Amino acid sequence: MDTTPFIQVKNLVYCYPDGTKALDGIDLNIGLGEMLALIGQNGSGKTTLSKCLNGLFKPTNGDVLVEGLNSRNTSIVQMVKRVGYVFQNPDHQLFNSNCWDEIAYGPRNIQLSEVEVKERVEEAAEVVGLPKEYYSEHPFFLSKGLRQRVAIASILALRPRVIIVDEPTTGQDSYQSLEIMNFLRELNEKHGHTIAIITHDMPIVARFARRVIAMGLGRILADGTPQMVFSQPDVLAKTYLETPQITQLAHRAQKWGFSQGVLTVDEMVSEFKQVFPTHA
Amino acid sequence: MAIIQFKDFSWTYLNQPKPAINKINLTIQEGQFIGIIGPNGAGKTTLAYSINGLIPGQYHGVKEGEVVVFDKEVEDYPRGDLQQKIGMVFSDPEAQFTAMTVEDELVFGMENIGLSIPEIRERLEWVLELTDLGPLLNKPPYELSGGQKQRVALGAVLAMTPEVMVLDEPTSMLDPISRTRVFKVLEKTKQEKNNTVIVIEHSLEKLVPMADRLIMLYDGQVLLDDEPRAFFNNMPLLMEKGIQSPGVIAFFHQLIQGGYEHGLLPLTVDEAAERLDLIFKRALETVKS
Amino acid sequence: MNKTLLGYVPKESPINAIHPFVKLFFLLIVSLFPLFIQAPEWNGILFVAILLLMAYSRINMGIMRIYVPVAISMGTIILISYTILGGIHPDYAILFNVLGRPIYWERVRDALVVYIRILPMIATMVFFLSTSRERDVIVAMRSIKAPFVVTYVFAMALRSAGMVLEDFHIVRQAEQARGFDTTGKSLVYKIRKYVMYMIPLFALSLRRSEEFTNALIARGYAFTGEAAKVKRADYVLTHYQFRNLDKLLTTAILLLFVTLLVFRYILGFMGLESSLIHLLYQ
Repeated sequence: MDTTPFIQVKNLVYCYPDGTKALDGIDLNIGLGEMLALIGQNGSGKTTLSKCLNGLFKPTNGDVLVEGLNSRNTSIVQMVKRVGYVFQNPDHQLFNSNCWDEIAYGPRNIQLSEVEVKERVEEAAEVVGLPKEYYSEHPFFLSKGLRQRVAIASILALRPRVIIVDEPTTGQDSYQSLEIMNFLRELNEKHGHTIAIITHDMPIVARFARRVIAMGLGRILADGTPQMVFSQPDVLAKTYLETPQITQLAHRAQKWGFSQGVLTVDEMVSEFKQVFPTHA
Repeated sequence: MAIIQFKDFSWTYLNQPKPAINKINLTIQEGQFIGIIGPNGAGKTTLAYSINGLIPGQYHGVKEGEVVVFDKEVEDYPRGDLQQKIGMVFSDPEAQFTAMTVEDELVFGMENIGLSIPEIRERLEWVLELTDLGPLLNKPPYELSGGQKQRVALGAVLAMTPEVMVLDEPTSMLDPISRTRVFKVLEKTKQEKNNTVIVIEHSLEKLVPMADRLIMLYDGQVLLDDEPRAFFNNMPLLMEKGIQSPGVIAFFHQLIQGGYEHGLLPLTVDEAAERLDLIFKRALETVKS
Repeated sequence: MNKTLLGYVPKESPINAIHPFVKLFFLLIVSLFPLFIQAPEWNGILFVAILLLMAYSRINMGIMRIYVPVAISMGTIILISYTILGGIHPDYAILFNVLGRPIYWERVRDALVVYIRILPMIATMVFFLSTSRERDVIVAMRSIKAPFVVTYVFAMALRSAGMVLEDFHIVRQAEQARGFDTTGKSLVYKIRKYVMYMIPLFALSLRRSEEFTNALIARGYAFTGEAAKVKRADYVLTHYQFRNLDKLLTTAILLLFVTLLVFRYILGFMGLESSLIHLLYQ
């Protein structure tokens, strides 16, 4: 069985046209079925890295290999069929006057037959839970949550194995955030997509990500499970993030035996029950 | 003294089947620091815009009832007057940056209300110190981070010394550290000026310790209105309506439910840590005895 | 390096010491000079003089390369429209024939005159834009007491241009991320597809303008009514002083203009009849 990771990044360096170095030597492997979070300060290179992964940006130095294909000599069309990227603002990526055409845009670009296009659109719309009555609606007038779903569906229609979503929960309330994250989790667990989210939202990372990659100044500062990454306060400081309140509390209560891997309230409660002194 | 009063106020946007705000009665006292929370679509922004006259001034719709600010109905204020009393900060740092440099932005509002150059200079210095923006004075917006832009927005509004500050999700587009810095500015303002502040937010951890009063809006109506500790005693309702409580509060709520603790809910990590220490010390003594 | 509208100017450049009003004044007055000068050798001298001023201001002359293709195509269009498409003039002297159409000396001469007239006008504009920051433009306009609305709208136009450009880049990337690829496709295809950009750019601008208007109102800016009549302090002007050098330069530019008019209309120089261009063809 081939165990080469689906995405391999080798010593990736990326410089903008005006010379600023956005990525300074990234080494990374991403496998299929992963659910990961990319965290870091604005300008740390998270978005640049994502765009290198899906072929929008070509490396200045180093290599990005997706399913064995080197992004330097692979057309963008071939790359985006494997790695999808959903932009932060749905308004940047809605080009058509109705949702159906919007989701069909991708498949049509890659020259699929109309029959196949129809199949893919309906499949994607169903997966994101877009009701049929919205098919002929203009995306501009939908709520932000729905627009985001249409944007995700239009990427799904290309059937990429890896989907990178840029800040899915920014500006959403907790209910909407959970909804979108549960949906992304389902894509990962039920449909087998690798999901990578770029985010600042610590509680979401704590709850949903199985792997966290922390970036700063164009480099990877930490790469591991949420517990591992969050227990390094200096890493968090460099990524302009803060330990979740509950983790801070667990840290303060260390002396009572609380473990330091606590990330959610539920974990804290079960920790409490374990360490709470009772009659022997 | 009641400075803002909503009397049976309803607002329905044009062509919308349902009212965004449905017969609200609310009174806001001078000097209070108020947090307004609720899911998207609950009517928070509509409420905020109704205070400073953007509704009905800029938006089409049907108004019922009254909105009285400083003893005068919002619609009775001549153009530009109400905005001097009510300062507003919006959620998008990019869209509310109206000038070409930080200094121009901070000064823009002051020029609009006709202040003289010495007055402007004085207030500019004060605001720079408050928001810690000194080194950025000549920078254009495209060289600033979102957090920096929001601090500029805050400074620009504070410089007009409004009697009431309304902030509509000022940190929703910011990373956590920028969020902390924005709230630090708010704290400093609260200490120095003690004016009335109304903050709409989703992220409650920073807001809750600072607020005198929390109001929950849902579907255009006020469902809860209380001081923070009492507010969070309504956990089941909050969870049902999708409000994410701060971690330590949710944790202690569960402790109280489980009988391990009773009393008021802690609002900060410090408080929670102290309480945990007490709980464990007590428990150890009980075991020993 | 200070970023200007069209590029960069080093901090040590002498142009930074000059009040923005002078820069604007230079642009407005000197760009009028070619309208009064017909003789191409004089316009040529003016053009070179402006290029020298640019070099003196430490503008990176390398960026002038960008304008060369534009200059060439513009010159070609002028030449063609004056000659091949210039009509039949029996009393003109024919130089040669192209595709059965006569090429007249007088038309070639006129094309040259027009072309060399335009060059200094464009050079003045490039000079201004390469040495002025956005703020300078606003200060210049305020110092000539332009109404605030005009200044502000202009400044916002500049700002929006930047934002729209950024949006445009992101939209292009978003299209590519959906498999849209124009490599190897015809120009017509590309143009047709470009219409598609309009939808997201429009959507973004619409949403932004709503928030922007709200922000303006929240800052107490009143478009009409009593509040709009307030006397503005123009705080930004406190950073700029109109010094002796500035007064000198302004007077010099004005004097130069008057001198030009005297030479042209009273003394008869710089007209076409006395121009050296006739040395090219007798």
